Amino acid sequence: MTATGPMIGETVERFELEKAWLVDPVSGREGPGEIVVTDGILESVVWLEGEEAAGVTDKGVVVAPGLFDLHAHFREPGFEDAETVATGSAAAAHGGFTTVALMPNTSPAVDDPGVVERIRSAARASGSPIEVLAYGAVSAGRAGEQLSAMGELADAGVVGYSDDGAPVKTPKLLRSALLYAGMLGLPIVDHAEDAELTAGAEAHEGYVASVMGLAGWPTAGEVNAVARDLAVLADALGDQPAARLHLTHVSTAAALDLVRRARAAGLPVTCDVTPHHLAFTDEWIAGARRWAWDAIDADGTPRDPWADGVLKAGPYNTSLRVNPPLRTAADAAACLAALLDGTADAVATDHAPHTVVDKEVEFGRAANGISGIETALGILLSLVDAGRLPLARAVAALTTGPAAVAAASTGTAGTSAARPRGLTEGAPADLVVFDRADRWRVTPEALLSRGKNSPLIGREVPGRVLLTIAGGRLAYEDPEAGSD
Amino acid sequence: MTAVAPAAHAPAVGWHHRHLIDVDVVTWPEIELIMRTTDEMKGILARPIRKVPALNGRRVTTLFYEASTRTRVSFETAARNLSADVVSISTATSSVTKGESLVDTVRTLEALGAEILVMRHAVSGAPYLAAEVFGGHVLNGGDGWHAHPTQALLDLYTMRENLPGGDLRGRKVAIVGDILHSRVARSNIWTLTAAGADLWLCGPATLLRGMDRWAAAWSGGAIPGHGRFNVTSDIDAALRDADVVMGLRIQRERMQGGLLPSLREYAARFQLNAERVSLAKPDAIVMHPGPMNEGVEIAPDVAISGRSVITDQVANGVAVRMALLYLLAGAHEAARGEAAR
Repeated sequence: MTATGPMIGETVERFELEKAWLVDPVSGREGPGEIVVTDGILESVVWLEGEEAAGVTDKGVVVAPGLFDLHAHFREPGFEDAETVATGSAAAAHGGFTTVALMPNTSPAVDDPGVVERIRSAARASGSPIEVLAYGAVSAGRAGEQLSAMGELADAGVVGYSDDGAPVKTPKLLRSALLYAGMLGLPIVDHAEDAELTAGAEAHEGYVASVMGLAGWPTAGEVNAVARDLAVLADALGDQPAARLHLTHVSTAAALDLVRRARAAGLPVTCDVTPHHLAFTDEWIAGARRWAWDAIDADGTPRDPWADGVLKAGPYNTSLRVNPPLRTAADAAACLAALLDGTADAVATDHAPHTVVDKEVEFGRAANGISGIETALGILLSLVDAGRLPLARAVAALTTGPAAVAAASTGTAGTSAARPRGLTEGAPADLVVFDRADRWRVTPEALLSRGKNSPLIGREVPGRVLLTIAGGRLAYEDPEAGSD
Repeated sequence: MTAVAPAAHAPAVGWHHRHLIDVDVVTWPEIELIMRTTDEMKGILARPIRKVPALNGRRVTTLFYEASTRTRVSFETAARNLSADVVSISTATSSVTKGESLVDTVRTLEALGAEILVMRHAVSGAPYLAAEVFGGHVLNGGDGWHAHPTQALLDLYTMRENLPGGDLRGRKVAIVGDILHSRVARSNIWTLTAAGADLWLCGPATLLRGMDRWAAAWSGGAIPGHGRFNVTSDIDAALRDADVVMGLRIQRERMQGGLLPSLREYAARFQLNAERVSLAKPDAIVMHPGPMNEGVEIAPDVAISGRSVITDQVANGVAVRMALLYLLAGAHEAARGEAAR
């Protein structure tokens, strides 16, 4: 690799990469190739054949389009001790992301165009070339009572509406929101949770919670909410054919089945799953540290961490407290199956950084969330390494998949989610270079996010990111890459 | 029984846990060691002067985030019987009410000299957090719905003391009440399945939720060192031919939570009354970890009947806690490097 020279945010004047594995989810092509970036433009993409391609495999250095995160929390304004737009953007770039869509549960909430402008201005000031998109709140103050300033938020360029952190409170409000957002050409993004069923919950309601004495978050809490959302969507479509629903961080096999059937019936619903629900299970709370796909037998029988003697880490680690909670190995397998069969359009990180103060407390009092934007790629590549997920599908779930969800957000307001999502010659370079063979250790120091609340702290994941270029500008460069 | 002063012993052989947070990581030989050490402590309690210098100069701090009379007094009595200096912190009088975090409180107590921290907390798992930052020993006095190891150990001791042969193998033990919210039940599952008892958990379906899943997971004998157990709402089946009948407290909050229609209905269907207890073996013992709601989960005449060993449980509680304080203190150097588990 050639050293690029520029500082973060500067245009990449010249970058050449010979003999890497290129993955282009737009053309559907992957294979050995070379790229050249000149003056921030992806000048050439050459696919190598025959002898030239000899020795280049998909197990080494990979070039993919810049990753797109549909669901992140950068905490600004209001919670800058946990993350800022600047630190979140740096973390995103370290994770290979070039576009992020930020949830509106800030303080104040993004229920007014002034807050969108504040986030934009912080993004500009950060100097990072990461494209920062924003969701608006569904309800004023996310209180679940009245609609937010949805039209003005659309004019300000939001890519959808969500009360994330909480579900859209009532079916009546959801119906209004779907109609109004449909009129504006934007989706409603719901965090599906029946708050009554989950009140006081600490962990997924199942074997692990029973043994550990943790209050259960039942599967029915998600299934009930997804069923409600789909019923309301079907109803709203009668009045507003442009109404669209995106369900974020769907975590249970049963809820994914509902989405699968709704899509088969033609409902305009999309969904995403998170890296942590693909990779971790509730047994991690008891101290197990094996991947979800290693915690289940081939016939679908879950393994018992107490029987297997795999409880190695201390129990009740609060970095594992997340909403929706880590589920069973069967649920994780269902998330993967949904990704493979297209029921899930995207993998979204639900990057939720928290301060030590909010996490170094009793498990049931810890803030919900995992700092995950820097480890999402590593988790998906672990699935690829395990032979569970084709590399091309992993890349698509982090690029074209989320871009398609967001690109449909072009109604009367229009949006900025227009960067190329393929390796397209002549377009501004927007790509990530990572090395599948290079494992890196997740440590508090290695994470650029202010949120060190990762269950992977102390563990290695594959796919060190060597370089991220966003919109032709340098977003991240591995400190050691330039000196090679 | 020979009453040997523990102070004369070599450092406890076979005990290597730095903390005691749950019985799940305690092996059967270690449980036997606790039982033997408790025997010795009972010998001390039988003397005219119930005090030995075993923990002379050692500092035991009790940190209770939940109201408790008997457990706290039991621990403090145990510590004083071993001549430890006892500092007592309750949430009502500490800076906890000013919003101080558990971690900060524990660090402060350590800086003030605490060596053994006896802790009770309403949130499951809280003592593991304390153990992560505390340089001494954490002894769990009950956390959330999760664990109450000293209670399970004193229950086991009391059962062995009162059952012919002192062996739980094949003995039927029925625990009746609010299993779902009970740390006593959870710790007893670990110890009694290790002891080889025929364990039955019984209560209304709403207060057993999830326990069937646990029982099913263990039904095949998959867990090394632990047998299977039964979960049922059939009170007669649970009590029939039982050797041990244990009631658990029913809290009034369960009605507000929609889990029970009324205390009256609970009592009608599940109360340990004389008629029901007569289903158990004639020499069966009746237990309760306290505090009791007499007239709800247990009839007053059953609680004070000749079968009741409830006051034995209280007395044995002091001896078991003396044993654990002694073992933890003795393990101090040997186990310094051990992780929180």
